[in-house]
Amino acid sequence: MLQKKICMLGGFAVGKTSLVRRFVQSIFSETYLTTVGVKIDKKSVALPDKTVDLILWDLAGEDDIGSFRVSYVRGATGLVLVVDGTRAATLAVALTLRERAEAEFGAMPFVLLFNKSDLADRWAISDSEINELRQLGWQIYLTSALSGEHVDDAFRQLASMVTK
Amino acid sequence: MHGLPREVRSWIYNFFYNEHSVAYLKIDAQLCIAAKGGSVKHYGLSSLRIGKPVAEQLEFMEGLLPCPELPYHMAMVELPSGRVADLHLFADNACVWLLFLDATAERDNRQRLQQKAYEMTLLQERERQLNEKLQSTNEALRQSQAGLSREYQRAESLLLNILPASIAERLKADEQIADNHAEVSVLFADIVGFTERARSVGAETTLAILNYFFKAADLLSERYGCEKIKTIGDCVMVVAGLPAARSDHAEALAHYALELRKAVKLERFAGQPLRLRIGIHSGPIVAGVIGKKRFAYDLWGETVNLAARIQTSAEPDEIRISDATHKLLGPDLTCDPLAETELRGTGRVQMWRLPA
Repeated sequence: MLQKKICMLGGFAVGKTSLVRRFVQSIFSETYLTTVGVKIDKKSVALPDKTVDLILWDLAGEDDIGSFRVSYVRGATGLVLVVDGTRAATLAVALTLRERAEAEFGAMPFVLLFNKSDLADRWAISDSEINELRQLGWQIYLTSALSGEHVDDAFRQLASMVTK
Repeated sequence: MHGLPREVRSWIYNFFYNEHSVAYLKIDAQLCIAAKGGSVKHYGLSSLRIGKPVAEQLEFMEGLLPCPELPYHMAMVELPSGRVADLHLFADNACVWLLFLDATAERDNRQRLQQKAYEMTLLQERERQLNEKLQSTNEALRQSQAGLSREYQRAESLLLNILPASIAERLKADEQIADNHAEVSVLFADIVGFTERARSVGAETTLAILNYFFKAADLLSERYGCEKIKTIGDCVMVVAGLPAARSDHAEALAHYALELRKAVKLERFAGQPLRLRIGIHSGPIVAGVIGKKRFAYDLWGETVNLAARIQTSAEPDEIRISDATHKLLGPDLTCDPLAETELRGTGRVQMWRLPA
């Protein structure tokens, strides 16, 4: 049995829980319910050559990076970094959380999600900023947990990265 | 705990055990479950099989073992059963113990508080974003308003340059404009020998001369309360007595003519002083605006036609006025009578010459 632990990292209210719910159960709720501690979900992903169970650790978002409990990340093989595309400051939060995780447990594959792409009129991240990050070779997705746009793509991409 | 009496130790143990629904798993060196106990049912762990790998039965254990830094603590982990547990891992010889301590109530409390705090923060962020947007929208609005008002003022001043102010006002109010004016005086003035001299000095100099002439006509219009109606080639048409009626329209226009003649003499055209032929006639006219986009304020009527013909008949430097105009002048402007002259379309006409 092939299973991989994946951690969802990002500031609060960027949509980590909603992305997991969209990916695992194909549902979305408008109601914001903050996560405290961590919730664990599982989803099987069939790749061309194998099937992998992703064990998704949906970590509480933080408004204070200092209170981030990096111990949850032990054993993870990949990260889903989530940014709220309508709140520019959440990009720095996601990148800092990744640094913290990698400082503790070493480098690991990740995908970077700019979430809430359905809120086009409130979008706060410039294309040039996103392109600059793409030039680093990062896997970047503009996702909407509401519509489901690019959500599966992002998780499948990470699944194939962590099983290489 | 060793300093505490047995009863207290026992009470604390029972209190903690019951409050936190303690369950445990013992995991052996092969990472298989060696034993389980306590409130296993509470956490949905009843079906765990002894002797089988722990990570295959408990997904959240994936990757955690072997753990180089024991004891290890993870707070408030929501299990698939929906229970929330604090997980403690600690070592015992070759084995690892995994303790489950219920933290559902604590998590729920924390969540209520955290939810309020984050919602508040989100609202504040949103408010700040909206305020910024409002400010930039306001700024853009202010700028476009300023631009609009500049445009308006420009249009206004252009309009006032081609129309008398009271007519412009009425035109903006979408009024049809065709007014009868019973008593006005109309003046025409043009440059003597314009066509030939223009040819000899070229377009640029000609334009400068015309500019000088028309500017003088404009300036004097303001000073004498007359209206410059239009220019036709090198000819200017000026009226007194409208849009507001005035009883001294003939006198005003006579003085205007004298000043205009004086003013242009200061300028030279093709080596000679600039000279005019001026004609004035008084009577009723119709004034109005024609056209929709490129509108023009103009005057019509026999008075206008006769004024033009008188002007054409005038000698260089002469201000020739009709008998009607002459009758309206006061005693300070004594005129020389001219011999009755045949004017085209009018017959023989008595005319007068304003003195130099």
